Amino acid sequence: MKKIILVFLMLLILTGCTKKEEQKHVNILNWSSYIPDSVIRNFEKETNIKVNYGTYSSNEELLAKVSNAKEGTYDLIFPSDYMIEIMKNRDMLEKIDKTKLNNINNLNSSYLNLEYDSNNDYSLPFIAASTVISVNRDLVKDSITSYNDLLNPKYKNDIVLIDDQRIIIGMALLANGYDMNSTDEKELEVAKEWLLQLKDNIKAYDSDSPKNFLITKEVSIAVLWNAEGALASMENNSIENIFPNEGFALSIDNFAIPKGAKNKEELYIFIDYILRPDVMKEIISSYPYKNINKETDKILNDDYLNNKAANIPDEIYKQGSFVKNVGDSIRTFDKIWAEIK
Amino acid sequence: MKFDNKIFKFIFIVPVIIYSVFLIALPLLYIFWISFLKNDSYGGIINVFTLQNYIDIFADVYIKIFLRSFLIALGTTFICILISYPFVLAVSHKNKKIQQILMTLVMVPFLTNSLIRMYGFTVLLRKYGVINQILLNTSLINEPLELMYNTFGIMIGMVYTLLPFMILPLYSSVLTIEKPILEAANDLGASKWQTFKKIILPQTLPGLFNGSLMVFTPALGYFFIVDILGGGKIMILGNLIKNQFLTARNWPFGAAISVFLILITSILIWGYKKIGGKMDDLGGM
Repeated sequence: MKKIILVFLMLLILTGCTKKEEQKHVNILNWSSYIPDSVIRNFEKETNIKVNYGTYSSNEELLAKVSNAKEGTYDLIFPSDYMIEIMKNRDMLEKIDKTKLNNINNLNSSYLNLEYDSNNDYSLPFIAASTVISVNRDLVKDSITSYNDLLNPKYKNDIVLIDDQRIIIGMALLANGYDMNSTDEKELEVAKEWLLQLKDNIKAYDSDSPKNFLITKEVSIAVLWNAEGALASMENNSIENIFPNEGFALSIDNFAIPKGAKNKEELYIFIDYILRPDVMKEIISSYPYKNINKETDKILNDDYLNNKAANIPDEIYKQGSFVKNVGDSIRTFDKIWAEIK
Repeated sequence: MKFDNKIFKFIFIVPVIIYSVFLIALPLLYIFWISFLKNDSYGGIINVFTLQNYIDIFADVYIKIFLRSFLIALGTTFICILISYPFVLAVSHKNKKIQQILMTLVMVPFLTNSLIRMYGFTVLLRKYGVINQILLNTSLINEPLELMYNTFGIMIGMVYTLLPFMILPLYSSVLTIEKPILEAANDLGASKWQTFKKIILPQTLPGLFNGSLMVFTPALGYFFIVDILGGGKIMILGNLIKNQFLTARNWPFGAAISVFLILITSILIWGYKKIGGKMDDLGGM
């Protein structure tokens, strides 16, 4: 019996002896469907740096993942505008050393120095996005120019929306002529009533792939992110993308370095690689969000450039507004969300 | 030998203790602890004692979600019972070999991740999915049926996922019924319904309650089924709690709802003991 224990203990000791020589690597946490696998594989081949890649599907999930992991678990993350502000305030980000990036001048300056990070100390823009209404013109003939057109009882059970309370309650605020980030209780009450009116028309809330609802004809109208709308219209050319009169939500996703990142050198190499025009072109071609890389603009295909949901014209883009941190009012937003579901 | 035995016992028990303390007891204590704290607007937790989180639970909208969750969970449990009894009784009359095969088949779905099985259901149930296509092509219907993105879809997912948890305990308690008693009932002229009511039901009550608990409790919280088959537009307790930890960044409130849920489940178990159930039967399979 003692022998067995001895063997058992020796096995335990042996398992501690398998440490390998460490390969260079970088730990990235990014949105699901944002960077195609091929880009990651090419980066690994070119630089011999292994990429450990994790994904999340909302800014809040990102926040939860980073704040609950040990410092140094992740080297690079991609928060959106308002989440940069939150993470900055919670002291979760490190300053970006711009001198380490050769390709930084490729960035379009209109997307730099924005309110959420006025000197871009903690973030650098990666892509821009907006919400858009996508309509299957085979099934819907009426003109749609406003969110209020979606209230038409004809579209019973025929609309899919992004599953995001700030975006959808923001849409209801916009539909009633208010600011998307309003925290006024009365205005929010109006927005709630508006959403209750819309309720019967909503088939589903989905953030993972709302475009599939359009493509499989499950619904004929969707409110989704522009790249999804653009992809849907590329797949089926009777799908039209409409930017509503009242405005829409904008979002900029950014490179950011969480506190305590360990693989500094590698993460800068990665950012610089993504900022290369040809690499960004590959990303934008797979996920047609709005490109903000000047050099990439020069080499993009007409397919992308002529699709207004993908390459949002500047004069339209200006009509959108960013989701801002609403502080404690998030409780009211969350309560409305629970009430309309 | 006695000495060695003790060491071995110790070696095998320690992991269980570590597991229960660090992965169950401590996190639960933590949840209990933060449910009395405040949150800040960036999602942090402030060390200030408050009962507000528990008071907030009693707002109309959350009570509605509680009621809805209970109805869905009750419905799921009820349907599972209706399906399981005939199945289990039929299986128990087969010979041993076939019984084993059938009960193994009940377990087979567990080999695939339940999330993937739910996505599988969307292929079957959606507007132009397999079922609707077949029905449309055979002209049995003119318009596609609304099989998912509603409560019906949620019920399909819940019953499908949780059915084995009803079948297994019920099956093991049906096995304890002695055949001669059933034969005696038959000889004395009891109808099938009388036999069920007077003999089978009382003897399988522990299994029934065990199964009900194992179906009812997860049904309150399985948010992924509600999200996928309900189309994210119906909220139950699971989604509500998940939202507090993610979107609303209000951990203390999420914790308070969780504690409340644990409380209700405990009351159910207490009720079971009260009506004469034994705790051993709950664990006994």
